[in-house]
Amino acid sequence: MTLRGMRRLEARRQMEESNFLLSKARSQNLNPPVDFRLLDYVTAYDDNLMCAICRCPFVDPVVLAECDHYFCRDCIRQSWGSTYSPSGPRGDCPQCRTPARLGTRSATSKILVNILDDLLVKCPKHEEGCPVSVKRGEVEDHMNIYCGYAYQECAGERCELPVRRKDADQGCLHFGVSCFDCHETMQKSTLENHWRSECAVRRVTCPRCNMHVLSKDLDSHNSETCEAVSIPCPGASIGCTSRSKRSQAQTHAKSCTFAKLAPVISSQKSRMDEQEAAQKLLSRKLEVLETGFGVMQGILYPKVSVEADDLAADESRIPFLDNSASERTLPPHHPRMFSGDSSGNALSPFDFPVPPTSRPSSAAPGVARRASPIGLPPSESAAALRQHDPIEAYNTNYDLASPGLPPPSTSGGPYVSPLHHLLSMHESLRDEMSRVNSALQELDGRHSMQTLNENLRTREEISYLGAQLAGLSRQVHWLTSTQLQRQSRSATPSAVAGSSSEMAGTSVEAAVNAVSTAATALRGAARMVSVGQGQSSSGSHGPMRRENSAEGRTKL
Amino acid sequence: MTTPLPKRIIKETERLQSEPVPGISAVPHDDNARYFDVNVEGPGGSCYEGGVFSLELFLPDDYPMCPPRIRFLTRIYHPNIDRLGRICLDVLKNNWSPALQIRTILLSIQALLGAPNPEDPLNEAVAKQWKENQAEAIKTAREWTEKFAQKK
Ligand SMILES: [Zn+2]
Ligand SMILES: [Zn+2]
Ligand SMILES: [Zn+2]
Ligand SMILES: [Zn+2]
Ligand SMILES: [Zn+2]
Ligand SMILES: [Zn+2]
Ligand SMILES: [Zn+2]
Repeated sequence: MTLRGMRRLEARRQMEESNFLLSKARSQNLNPPVDFRLLDYVTAYDDNLMCAICRCPFVDPVVLAECDHYFCRDCIRQSWGSTYSPSGPRGDCPQCRTPARLGTRSATSKILVNILDDLLVKCPKHEEGCPVSVKRGEVEDHMNIYCGYAYQECAGERCELPVRRKDADQGCLHFGVSCFDCHETMQKSTLENHWRSECAVRRVTCPRCNMHVLSKDLDSHNSETCEAVSIPCPGASIGCTSRSKRSQAQTHAKSCTFAKLAPVISSQKSRMDEQEAAQKLLSRKLEVLETGFGVMQGILYPKVSVEADDLAADESRIPFLDNSASERTLPPHHPRMFSGDSSGNALSPFDFPVPPTSRPSSAAPGVARRASPIGLPPSESAAALRQHDPIEAYNTNYDLASPGLPPPSTSGGPYVSPLHHLLSMHESLRDEMSRVNSALQELDGRHSMQTLNENLRTREEISYLGAQLAGLSRQVHWLTSTQLQRQSRSATPSAVAGSSSEMAGTSVEAAVNAVSTAATALRGAARMVSVGQGQSSSGSHGPMRRENSAEGRTKL
Repeated sequence: MTTPLPKRIIKETERLQSEPVPGISAVPHDDNARYFDVNVEGPGGSCYEGGVFSLELFLPDDYPMCPPRIRFLTRIYHPNIDRLGRICLDVLKNNWSPALQIRTILLSIQALLGAPNPEDPLNEAVAKQWKENQAEAIKTAREWTEKFAQKK
């Protein structure tokens, strides 16, 4: 082996490689890359697999790191356009407007990618005749390796034109022919396609019924009108196994019981499906509601061991559930008591009860509870409530729906019917609602109580200030009177002095007056504070409602 | 240059026909699938109730990366719509998102009829009237609706 031989070998290897690369490039030119967004999907897919931007099943999905929304990589990049940052592309999520950046490739759910790859699609060449449906993940392999309708280079000598893979072994087909029927000239390689979909004259004989049909209509003839194709009985879905020629299908259908029943049964089935779907939806809704309430209950009444004195707890429960009673036993710190009282002076700040937070702990718990039911710590009342409500809820239900039946055991045994279960669920949910309501009211009351307390402290301070002011004015008075006396004693005969002392007296009086007006002003301010407080507590629902409506609008 | 119609536009058009939004219709032109004739009914309870307003909608080449162009063809007395029928709506400008669709945009426009916003005016004269004498402005809007926005 010489050096020359080695070189020759190397040169040959290089030439082969470049030839291979060239042919590969050509074959890619012949078959443009598959655009997944133009595929016809055989599998039905729902909105969850659909990119919000291109409205197709995701192509190379990426997840946004901040909000977990998915998009196609191309779609989101295109949507963010030129916004570039060193940490990778970022922008607002098109769906929820959260500022976000692309998640890593590994963050994309593997399951999602698998589901997308498993979607069945028609071959991109299906309009040209390829009958194959493939998984989306394999469609490129199908095009590059298997599809008979994809193009490859003609095998003919010195011919570089494309030819369909299935025709490749027929030698070069790139010579002119003319259609026997319409006499149009074309290349041999396109003749088949011409017959298949274009030629308006060519007729072929149907191999089954011997009818002459237009070549381009042959497919639809087979599937829709051919008399000789055997089709299943219309009752096949409910059990008839007979197949008959299309021409005889009518006679069979007339005698077949299945065929007669089929439309009725299928309509009933569709109705059943509909109702099933509706029921599924309802039960899911119910589930969501239930868990929601569970969570709310957990928040409102954290679990505490039930105290021994059930009786006392029981008594305190009644005002919550019975509306009229709760009206009567409304605690004095309920906001409604203040809203009407705009004058403010009728209420002395000391008329209000001591708030629960500062209540002396030495008071006997039972007594305290009976005295102010709302002041009861919420956890205890909740425990008491929870103990009793299931019995009550189910009892009312049983009376309502089937009076003859004995009430069920409280352990939550089987219900007579789903309806009962639903009814009881509904009832207990309603109870829950009213309890939440009263708890909210309670909270509201407590809140206003707190503000009131603060208010009270300010008022106290103000009255203290007033008292000090009064003392001050008394002192001033005393001082001036002694001064007056001293003056009158030192200058009795002088009338001028008398007049001057008179002047001093009036000025002092003016000073005293000023002090007293200041005191009344202070008192007025105190009143204003209390009135303002009352108004603010009664008007505190306003903004919340406004917020709600705003929220509703944005949702819409 | 004629780019092939994106799948998304085909799908949106199909859905607009198969599940139309109540009170809104959008029909593409036969010769230009990016150009739609739109009819929007005035929302109930507003001063445009009973009116049918026609608009034109055009999907530019880079839709959905940029918003559709929409214009009122029917005259309308509204602080956010000018005399040429142009609409002042944030989602048609800076707040556009490619996840929005023709149907959502048309719904927003219908909602804008239900809730005029004189604080962000496009038509200053109407907005001024709206702020100073709302009752009069609403009356005018009603009259215009009766005069211009009736079904042919
Ligand atoms: Zn996409
Ligand atoms: Zn998002
Ligand atoms: Zn194929
Ligand atoms: Zn050839
Ligand atoms: Zn022909
Ligand atoms: Zn036939
Ligand atoms: Zn049969």
